Amino acid sequence: MKKTWSVVRVGLKSNFGLAVVRHRLFKEKKDRWLIPLIALAFLGLAPTIYGYLSMIKIFYRGLLPLGQQHLILTFAILAGQVFVLIFGIYYVISAFYFSRDLDILIPLPLKPFQVMFSKFAVILANEYLTIAFFVLPALVYYGILAKAGLPYWLYAVVIYLTLPVIPLAVVSLLVIGMMRAVNISRKKDALIIVGSLILIVLGIGLQYVMGRTAGSSPDPQAMLRFLTNSDGMVQRFGAFFPPSIWASKALARGFSAGGISNLLLFLAASLGVFYGILIAAEKLFYRGLIGIGEVSSRKKLLSRRDMLRKVSSGRHPVLAIFAREWRIMARTPIFLLNGVLVVIIVPLIFVVMAQADISRGGSSAMLRLLASVKPIISMLAGACFMTFCSCLNGTSSSTFSREGGQFWMSKVIPVPAKKQVIAKFFHSYFIALLGIVVASGVLLAVFHLKATVFAGALIISFAAAVALTAIGMAIDLARPLLDWTNPQKAIKQNLNVLLGMLADIGILSALGYFSVFLIKRGISGGGLFVILLAVLILLSAGSLRFLLKFAEKRYVRIEV
Amino acid sequence: MIELRTVSKSYNKGKVKAVDDLDLIIKPGEIFGFLGPNGAGKTTTIKLIVGLLKPDKGAIIIRGLDNQKEALRCKAMTTYVPDYPAVYERLTGLEYLNFIGDVYGVSRKDRIERIEKWLEIFDLGQAVSSPIQSYSHGMRQKIVLMAALLPAPQVMVLDEPLVGLDPRASFHLKEIMREHCDQGKTLFFSTHIMEVAEKLCDRIGIINKGKLIACGSMDELKKLNHEQQESLENIFLELTEK
Repeated sequence: MKKTWSVVRVGLKSNFGLAVVRHRLFKEKKDRWLIPLIALAFLGLAPTIYGYLSMIKIFYRGLLPLGQQHLILTFAILAGQVFVLIFGIYYVISAFYFSRDLDILIPLPLKPFQVMFSKFAVILANEYLTIAFFVLPALVYYGILAKAGLPYWLYAVVIYLTLPVIPLAVVSLLVIGMMRAVNISRKKDALIIVGSLILIVLGIGLQYVMGRTAGSSPDPQAMLRFLTNSDGMVQRFGAFFPPSIWASKALARGFSAGGISNLLLFLAASLGVFYGILIAAEKLFYRGLIGIGEVSSRKKLLSRRDMLRKVSSGRHPVLAIFAREWRIMARTPIFLLNGVLVVIIVPLIFVVMAQADISRGGSSAMLRLLASVKPIISMLAGACFMTFCSCLNGTSSSTFSREGGQFWMSKVIPVPAKKQVIAKFFHSYFIALLGIVVASGVLLAVFHLKATVFAGALIISFAAAVALTAIGMAIDLARPLLDWTNPQKAIKQNLNVLLGMLADIGILSALGYFSVFLIKRGISGGGLFVILLAVLILLSAGSLRFLLKFAEKRYVRIEV
Repeated sequence: MIELRTVSKSYNKGKVKAVDDLDLIIKPGEIFGFLGPNGAGKTTTIKLIVGLLKPDKGAIIIRGLDNQKEALRCKAMTTYVPDYPAVYERLTGLEYLNFIGDVYGVSRKDRIERIEKWLEIFDLGQAVSSPIQSYSHGMRQKIVLMAALLPAPQVMVLDEPLVGLDPRASFHLKEIMREHCDQGKTLFFSTHIMEVAEKLCDRIGIINKGKLIACGSMDELKKLNHEQQESLENIFLELTEK
């Protein structure tokens, strides 16, 4: 037991790098500028949280006369658990199988379950932070509205801490099973990607079912009907996933026999499933893990003919760096999943949601709406969708971080920082373009946009993607995360990616408000298009210029 | 060919002085061995020479050019092998060599000639088409050495280049180092292997706590030593004890 806690503690410490954060903040005083920036980002979330709390209040008042107010808790807990179920896949694969510290942990006299427990604890801690945004406000505000007593708050803490265990354990079981099967093959990387895609498709499928049952109507009455309806999503999923019902009943009933029994039921189920994965880990974890990092390659002597064919005749350095970026991204499963595949998957999720909507007759209303508004509005909506799909992948805002410990090569090669950054820009921009192309396909297939509207949206999004790519890269260049041991950290757990996304959303919102302002002033569609395009071209040129200048300064200062 | 003029570098806002007013000249055609206990400042000095770190004070001159002001021209004539061979593991050995050839502007003819030669010497012909990820530590070290040799640089800077190499590769590397300097080029390397330094180097520098405490040929170092120690190991132990 002592060993288990010790390895869990080390895992948490090394993953959250509290010592490093303390050192950088208080000793080196390097990252202090981040504090106001993060505070600002949270402030930006304030209106969303306010809206969320208002919605909870409306539902609470609506459900109170029916005595069903605890459904708010069921909904929040269920949403948290489903979220963990879907997004835990990435975390589990990379933490269980791609952390570099596994090379240190495996030879230690530890049992497989102890190593897995340590990794599980790290993901669990990550999940507490991720689900905090939508589960905590519901738990806290419900408690305030219901004037809940001590039992509620006590239970709330216990339930919040236990909440991700079951879904995470289910995902872990799936992943451990998958990796055990994958590890028998030579083409592990390809199988990891295929396996992850299957899990993601399952996730999207779940979303489709949710979309079909939940609907997206903002009408509170309709939402109330959906919450209380015996055929509604909460009831259905609650029945399918009873722990969320137990948790919300425990919270609602407090120290009564019903409350205690439901809490015990919830805890016992969590503990049981957790114990199950420990047993599975003992049997399957190392078999899937050992050798996963090894690449068995056919050792064949390079013939002179092969060498003459493979030795290049000298490419321009920009092309050489561009090719290097592609190769590394395409051959690193975590980068490929989060960089390239995301731009394909995000638009597809919209197709699935739209299809679910169509099956309920909703999309025809959407189509009518799109047809009825001015062409400029549908063009703006289209451009916004395309840009959104292209830039939310983290490729640009992790472009320097992804080099990690290999950044020394970029520092010593005789290629100016400017040229290196141009190559990286083209790589990130091409991935953004891929997102735009897929999103365009979705727009054409689902919403049947007019050719002129479509072309306008395409031009706007091409210009916007230049600026957003350059800004994302500049953010990463300001503080590249180069000392990672797990490639996941470079792209999924990189604060720069989050900052990049916030910047993208901020810029898109500002442009949106600007367009609305101009439309209210009665500007013509063509006029707005020209002005927007001019603004975006200026922004793109400005941000690219800034990026190149910044690169010259930063490449000298980044010390490795 | 490499000149360090009162170079200083500290970490933690000046609290830890890694290199302290270092003055050093390495002449053309010279193999210079850099010795020192762990944490003495060897790797920091090397990183300063190749431009991975920026000096707080002083200047580093490579063949008459300041490596801060004329960074690109200095990089074009210098190659570097780090103490740990962290290279693009997802590329094959040949892709990596091609990349280095592209960025240093090595012609196709030279590439083929040199790659063929080093592949045979380092016995990497079977592995060079496989991803570097599948290489052992020693094989990675060999591919990084090959990449450093490929541009036929004027200056080579190697941080503990013999670590991880098998005896045959080690033997060949020492020969290559000698050949490199016989062509009038410069080689600066750090090592903990005293015998290698003693036999291979034209001059040796010993650094301790960021300061150069001794520098010269083996004969000159022996004269420095009060107890008239014969081996470099004993000289090193005596000097670094203080």
